[in-house]
Parts: sequence; structure tokens; C-alpha cells
Amino acid sequence: MFRGVGSALILAGCLGLGFLSREKMNGRIRALQQMMDILELFESEVRYGKTVLPECCGRIGNRIRGGFGEALVRVAEKYRENAGESFEVIFREEVGRQLEEMPLKPEDIRLFLQSISSTGFSEGQMQLRTMEQSRERLGKTKEKLERENSEKGRIVVGLGAMSGLLLILILW
Amino acid sequence: MQVEKSILQLFPTQSRPFWMKTAEHQGKIQEIRLRVFQPISIQICGRETFLNQDGNFTENVMEAARVTSGELENLVNHICRYSLYAYEEELRQGYITVEGGHRVGIAGQAVQQECGTVRTVKNISFINIRIAHEIKGAADEVIKKMYKNGRLQNTLIISPPGCGKTTLLRDLIRQVSDGNSYGKGMSVGVIDERSELAGCVQGVPQLDVGMRTDVMDACPKKYGMMMLLRSMSPGVIAIDELGNEEEFECLKSAASCGCRILATVHGENLYSVERRFGMEKKFWGSLFDWCLVLKKEPLTGRIIVAEEDMENV
Repeated sequence: MFRGVGSALILAGCLGLGFLSREKMNGRIRALQQMMDILELFESEVRYGKTVLPECCGRIGNRIRGGFGEALVRVAEKYRENAGESFEVIFREEVGRQLEEMPLKPEDIRLFLQSISSTGFSEGQMQLRTMEQSRERLGKTKEKLERENSEKGRIVVGLGAMSGLLLILILW
Repeated sequence: MQVEKSILQLFPTQSRPFWMKTAEHQGKIQEIRLRVFQPISIQICGRETFLNQDGNFTENVMEAARVTSGELENLVNHICRYSLYAYEEELRQGYITVEGGHRVGIAGQAVQQECGTVRTVKNISFINIRIAHEIKGAADEVIKKMYKNGRLQNTLIISPPGCGKTTLLRDLIRQVSDGNSYGKGMSVGVIDERSELAGCVQGVPQLDVGMRTDVMDACPKKYGMMMLLRSMSPGVIAIDELGNEEEFECLKSAASCGCRILATVHGENLYSVERRFGMEKKFWGSLFDWCLVLKKEPLTGRIIVAEEDMENV
């Protein structure tokens, strides 16, 4: 009886580990999706409201939850204090810090920071195009990861189950 | 200190210490002119002076500090809050209104559209910062003459550039809106196409235009007048720098709706305005009750106000 319960617990634990590893692998995908959503919100603000970038940060930051939203609100507040500091410096500092806490690769962070803090486009269309291009590139990275991860995920969960069974056999 | 601060707000952090001295004299400064690789020129109390390397005033042009193209680019970016695209229309028009009601005029390389109109201005190399001066009480002398039997008269202010017609109109709007010794407060609709009268930033007036004033900011006059008439039912319509016949026609229809009119136009006198717009004298008489002509005395630079009664026109 105890042996049976123990075996079930071992199997469940190993399977759980497998699922956890799969979820970790999907963390970057979720982070990329969040970045794409935020870029889309920026695009809407620029396209329909011609809102200036610091104000965009405040508006979007208030709409989304979590650390990312808070970081964006901090950018807007810090800029509003008007110490004359460049928007790019503030944005890179505040949002960069937040992005580093997320399961992202340096190239993802660089691309996102660049797409928002690129200023100096005197035409809205050009500013929008920069954001759209970054979003498309993030989207492609995400698609590639999804393809790879679906295979990897299955293997990881399978391996978890197999290792559980192996452990049960050894301990039996 | 608030006003002093507003001029410093125009400049990025790294250049603020340089502009500190200028900001202390903000009340007397009319213009700051920045031209790429040329001396920084300040128009103060009607005369030109320069800034030396430490940011102090100097009369010697050889000592004057000069601005680089990079500094100008930074400045434009900062003024546009690092979002030039949001100021697309303003850049096309050649000026940006900033907090405090100051106006930043820009010039550089125009990019044309296929139809020949200006699409945008790039490589901005010349900047003229016009410091807004709100003179409350500027209209004290004329306000009493603007009412006849307790009724506000339709008034046209004629003036060459730089004589203070916008300052006068702004104070007239404020006094008419708040109410004064000669008449009760009235709701005033201001069509501020170039954001000069109310100096709106994100729709909020930076200059005092009175408590009963509604401002249609950055809106073409001909549309703004009709929009305000329909939506805000103003008692008075105020408009700065009338520029074409279409605007006069809109003004005429506003007047026929029972609105009182306060307007300004560039010109030396009524005759020059008539010639410019090619309208009959009768037209002016039917639209305005009287007009004020502002002139600058050649020697002293003092502003003289002359009146022309439209009843005899």
C-alpha cells in the first residue's frame, strides 16, 4: 500500500518537473507576446492620437498590469518632472531594468528598447514603421520559438514521466 | 520662479546652466535667436545682445557663443518631447507652441510634396524662440471705448507685426470674459489657429484668457468659427490675424448670428487693409463698429493707439 502511494508520488513529482521545465521554456514566448502587445498599443497611440512618447508610456502603463506597466508609468512620471533629461535615457533605464528581469535574450531587449526610444522621425508614418518592423521581428522570433518548443515540450514532459518510472523501478 | 522656470524647460539638462542667466532676465527678453554656427542673439528691451561662453550677456559679437547643428537637433528633439511626429503639422507651419505660451519658430530644409506644398522641415538650423509676455491691463485704456450703451462693439485691431496686437487682443478677451467696469462677463469663443492667443499646450491655455472663454486650438479659423458657433454658443468670437476673404465671410455669418466680434489683422491702417483684401469700404462698416490702429513711434518705439470710427465709413 505505502509502496504504491510512494510510487504514485514519485511519478507525479517527476511529471510535475517535466511540466515546469516546459513552462519555463514558454516564458520567453509569453514575454515576447507581452512586448508585441505593448508595441501595438504604442502604435495605436501614435497612429490615432499622435500622442508624444512620454505620454504614451503613462497611458499604456496605466492600462496594463504588472511590473511592465509600473515601469512605463515611472518613465512618464520621471519625464514629467522635467529635469530636462532625454526620454531615451529614462526609457532605457526604467524599461531596460524591467526587461532584464524577464526571461528574454539580450537581442529581444535591444530590439524593443530601440523601437520605442528611436526618436527624430518628423513623420508619424516613419515612427510607426519602426515600431511595426520591431513587432514583426519579435513575432517571427516568437513563431520560431513556438515551433521549437512544442517538440521540446513534449520531449521534456516525456522525459519527466520516464525518469519517474525509472526511479520507481530502481526503488521498488 | 514659475515663469523663470518655463524658459529653462525649453532646454535639455546639459545646456541649462548656460541659459540660467538668460532665464533670470526672462521678463525683459523678446526673442532668442539660434542660428547654426552663428552667435546666439538675444533681443532684450528692443535691442540685440549676445551670450558669451558662460551664458552672460555681451555686446561684443567676437566673444559670443555659437551653437552647433547637434545642439540645435537636441533642442528641437527636447522641445518636441522626443516625438517629432506628433508635431508634424506644427513643423510644416514652421512653429511650435510650448508650455508657457512661448513660440518656437523653426527654419531649415523644406521637404516638398509632389503637389508643391511643404511636407516637413528637416535639418532645422535656425530657431527663433519668441518669449510670451502676458501684459494684464494692456487693454485698460481701450476697454471703456469698446462699450456703447453697455453693448460690446465689434472691433477690428489693425497693426503691423511687433506692435502688440495679440497682447492687446488677449487682454481684451480676458477682460470681456471675466467682466469689467463697463460690461458683464460674456462667454468668449477664441479660434486660436496658431496657439498664440491662449498658448494652449495639450488643449490647456497657458495664458490667462478669462474664465468664460472657450478655446478652439490649432483649428483653421473658417472651421473653428462654425464649430464654436454650433457647439458653444459664444457671445463673442475672437480671432487673431485674419488672413483671407473666406475668414471674413465666416466672421460675417457669425456676426449675423448675433455674436460680437473681436479681430486683428496685419496692416498700417484701414486703407492698407482694404487694399490688401480688395473689399469695399461698405463691407468693413457692415462688419465692424470701430477699429483700433496700433503704430510704433519711429524714435521711441512707443506704441500709439489710434481709433477709426466705422460709422462714417
